[in-house]
Amino acid sequence: MPDQPGPKGLTHTAVMDWMTRFAATVRSVEPELTALDQKAGDGDFGANLVTGMDGVRRALDALAAGAGNGERDRRGPDAPLDAAARVFLDDVGGTSGPLFGLLFQELADALGMAAAPPGTAALALGTAAGAAAIQRVGEAEVGDKTMVDALVPAARALASCEPTADPAHALHVAAVAAHRGARSTTDLRARRGRASYTGDHSRGVPDPGALAVALLFASAHAELTSIGRLPVS
Amino acid sequence: MPQYFRDSPESLVPDALAGFAAAHADLVAYNPDHGYFRTRHTAPTRRVGLVSGGGSGHEPLHSGFLGTGMLDAACPGRIFASPHNRQIFEASRAVARADGVLHIVKNYTGDRINFGIAAERLAHEGIRCARLLIDDDLATDSDDIAVGRRGTGATLIVEKILGAAADEGRGLEDLVALGTDVTRRARSLAVAAAAHTTPQSGTPAFTLPDNVLEFGVGIHGERAEGTTPHAPLGKLVETMTDQLLAALPDSAGSRVLALVNGLGSITSLELYGIRHAVAKALDDRGVGLDRSLTGTFVSALDMRGFSLTLFATDAEALRLWDAPARTPAWPL
Repeated sequence: MPDQPGPKGLTHTAVMDWMTRFAATVRSVEPELTALDQKAGDGDFGANLVTGMDGVRRALDALAAGAGNGERDRRGPDAPLDAAARVFLDDVGGTSGPLFGLLFQELADALGMAAAPPGTAALALGTAAGAAAIQRVGEAEVGDKTMVDALVPAARALASCEPTADPAHALHVAAVAAHRGARSTTDLRARRGRASYTGDHSRGVPDPGALAVALLFASAHAELTSIGRLPVS
Repeated sequence: MPQYFRDSPESLVPDALAGFAAAHADLVAYNPDHGYFRTRHTAPTRRVGLVSGGGSGHEPLHSGFLGTGMLDAACPGRIFASPHNRQIFEASRAVARADGVLHIVKNYTGDRINFGIAAERLAHEGIRCARLLIDDDLATDSDDIAVGRRGTGATLIVEKILGAAADEGRGLEDLVALGTDVTRRARSLAVAAAAHTTPQSGTPAFTLPDNVLEFGVGIHGERAEGTTPHAPLGKLVETMTDQLLAALPDSAGSRVLALVNGLGSITSLELYGIRHAVAKALDDRGVGLDRSLTGTFVSALDMRGFSLTLFATDAEALRLWDAPARTPAWPL
């Protein structure tokens, strides 16, 4: 019998489903992400993210078919995230793509090192480490109108959950916090990233990178994906 | 209209990389899978691998300075574009030594981010990694510029001095401290009489009126904040020298090393004339010229201009500067 997403732990199958849903979600909202990035950035964000997640989908297929994933346990809960990290770090251009790779890498590490099956504590640890790595590299703070505006609230929300809480609940809380953070970027003037060169043109447009982070957490659950509708119009 | 000699705009960089690798096959090796060069010869005493890189169009930086006494690996990006973090990560992994790797990074957003991502990946693999940020350009020394001064000519001085220090077997923290001090004591300024040619379009990146110089240009064809009348060379060099000397730290002595650097299409004839003017300007101001280097080292495609870097020397820096190096482009 295949393993099921347990009430208190993230199984390999659950994480595979999470990544698969994220790939489907970004594909369905790619036109909106591109439209947003064209208003304030250089317009390649949506395409880069979709290209990256298409690569992740192929990597997940290879994983399911038993292809190698380095030294990791191919059936571990961290394997799909590790595969996503390799794709985004190695093959996705621009700046935001590899930064997503760092988040996936930290999530994979936290899930891989936790006692099986990993739960809310590992998610909180991995998200916080991912946010820290992205901030070390990109030097953005909350309020600079970048993916950090969604990621840091998500990390805080996860940290505020009981470590033993049901990860489904914790991911829900994180998705809501990330979405609020992404929406909060709408009225900001970009201070980092390509949009920072467009001055006040970035006002009135939510940051697509922050929205993508919100969609990542929303994609963790099929029932949550519906809140991932983008506030574009 | 000037045109580059190349098959297509897209072939300019890859063909040059292939040619460089073949021309200097005794000194460097190109890794086509990951897009970096590494030296074929390194001092066995070295405990830290030195890695640098950046956009193409600045030749001979950085690949020209691979070899004993200088860099272990160099990552060329596309024209004026940062290398991908994967290039930097793989190059660093290939040349890391017992005490890890040092990234020598010019202060530009893309380079900072891509070297930063590579550093995170190296840390993830348990490889020690530190960064030295080069920010010597006086023209971008302003509180209004949040990203800080650009990195330009001092990069070469840092690569030479740290290369010699690394050969002595110094550790990672020691090299960072030395490199930070060298960077602190070096400032550069650049002027251009004509812009570089944009490789895609074959047109100048900007145009200047006759007899006007762009004063304070960068190495990516960025325009300067201001222009200056095309004065006689001696007067221009005096102005640049005064501004650079005023910007060097008070603690520095009154002796300097001067780098007279062509930006791509200026002639040797002119560069040596500039070298002569710099020596006179320093002498008039009572500043000793300990060492100098004249030539094209940190270019900006075919920009018609030059940069002047002054570095406040000390005995240790001079000793390391004088240490032997063998690379495709180190002239001494």
